[in-house]
Amino acid sequence: MDKAILLESVSKKYDVGSSSLKVIEDLTFDVNKNEFVCVVGPSGCGKTTLLRIVAGLEPPSSGRVLVFGRPPDPKIQRFGVIFQEDSLLPWRTVLGNVEFGLEIQNYQEAERERVAKTFLELVGLQGFENYYPHQISGGMKKRVAIARALAIDPDLILMDEPFADLDAQTRSLMQRELLKIWSKLNKTVLFITHNVEEAVFLAQRVVVLTKRPSRVKQIIDIDLPYPRARLSPPFISYRERILTAFHEELEGI
Amino acid sequence: MNVVSMRKLYSRLQSLLFASASVIVFFILWELAASYLQSPYFPDPYSVLKAFITIITVGDIDGYTLAWHTLMSLERVLLGFAVGSATGVPIGLLLGIKPTLKNAVTPIIEPIRFIPPIAWIPLSIVLLIGMYRYVFLIWVGVFFPVLLDTIAGVKRTSITLIQMARTFGADNKNIITKIIFPSSLPEIMNGLRVGLGVGWMCIVAAEMIGGEPVGLGRLILKYANLLQIDTVIVGMITIGLVGLAMNYFILFLEKRMFRWRVEIRA
Ligand SMILES: Nc1ncnc2c1ncn2[C@@H]1O[C@H](COP(=O)(O)OP(=O)(O)OP(=O)(O)O)[C@@H](O)[C@H]1O
Ligand SMILES: [Mg+2]
Repeated sequence: MDKAILLESVSKKYDVGSSSLKVIEDLTFDVNKNEFVCVVGPSGCGKTTLLRIVAGLEPPSSGRVLVFGRPPDPKIQRFGVIFQEDSLLPWRTVLGNVEFGLEIQNYQEAERERVAKTFLELVGLQGFENYYPHQISGGMKKRVAIARALAIDPDLILMDEPFADLDAQTRSLMQRELLKIWSKLNKTVLFITHNVEEAVFLAQRVVVLTKRPSRVKQIIDIDLPYPRARLSPPFISYRERILTAFHEELEGI
Repeated sequence: MNVVSMRKLYSRLQSLLFASASVIVFFILWELAASYLQSPYFPDPYSVLKAFITIITVGDIDGYTLAWHTLMSLERVLLGFAVGSATGVPIGLLLGIKPTLKNAVTPIIEPIRFIPPIAWIPLSIVLLIGMYRYVFLIWVGVFFPVLLDTIAGVKRTSITLIQMARTFGADNKNIITKIIFPSSLPEIMNGLRVGLGVGWMCIVAAEMIGGEPVGLGRLILKYANLLQIDTVIVGMITIGLVGLAMNYFILFLEKRMFRWRVEIRA
């Protein structure tokens, strides 16, 4: 069992009123330890649902999900989840928010503050420790959430379109920082994005999902060394290949 | 001084002016009504002022001063309030978290909520003694606003925040103490403020049945029996002013506590 994530014929349907909505159907793929995998797919296809299943927040309707060889359970395993929507505690300062996960994981108080400050620096937010979430921008909030998730030293990082609200410069900075962290700390990353270029820049493998109910449409290995040059011909040809698959799915929407 | 703070000062002065104008108008109307009615049971502001001074300096017919009456009433109400919040908040959290339990007890709680404290007087005379009577009657006033606002606060907790906590491995205790409770705190504080106000308004009813001849409610009842309405009004005004002060005190606390909230400015 040396897979970080194993999904076997996973299906998920939601019952809304009397009807039921099939969101994921017979989805199978896996993620190796220390691998960086991006998932791209059209809006509403079930990417967030997939992430919630992998994080152990919801069981699949059928199929098998294993994370490091066991059904996912955040009480036993360390997950760093970055939600698509705002997930900061509005009553805590930026520093208090980053300390939250460390508190749950029972770090000592002094250690909490030290670790939290290190990660705030990493995401470029030193000096904002005492701000409340309503006093910082949307992109800064995202970075606080990233610092909070990374601070607990997770074995698996699950990111749901984390850089979508960032401006181009910060986004590209954060992408490079994430790759650095990933290669330095030997993390497994499952990264969800709308942005095909982002996927090609970051991932070792890109999983393209079909429209709802989502299945795997295509898995593409990105065989390029890091750091990647966005304007190099092989980068562009990977991007075009994925975009083509992606657009085929968009047409039916 | 810059322009902004000048403007602030100006608008402060203006609202102060309006406020004092309305107080003056109120006293003029009162005076007019009193001189029109010419009734021994409708005192004018001046005789109420005289009664005020007498009660403050000399005391009432039993020798208790106004400060003493106020302190005794405050003690009773704060005790009832303490019991009311110590029951209302935890039960509210529990019912908010467990909707099935809430649905189960709603048919009991809802009708009881509409029984006014005065209606409880006979039962509490039969069942309770001494301080318990006061505390119970005030509890009746405090408990329900605290309970209902706490439940409302729990309901408004963001699901995303709870799930976020779960992904960090939080157990139910963590989720209640670190997410649900702080997230509901603004509603809880509001419930406490309303509950304290309602509890304070129950003081006359509570002191109707307490034995001791001291307390603001008691003062009113004593002088009502003597048909000395000026002193009755002294008691009423004191109850009103103390209630107002408590309300502002909690509002002030709320402002200090909830600086994390985005201020809504009209
Ligand atoms: N709790 C739920 N109950 C009912 N339906 C749900 C629930 N959660 C998600 N869905 C439905 O599942 C589908 C997929 O939702 P999901 O959030 O996974 O999409 P997504 O791929 O993340 O979309 P986006 O890219 O826009 O974030 C949607 O049609 C949504 O309405
Ligand atoms: Mg989503």
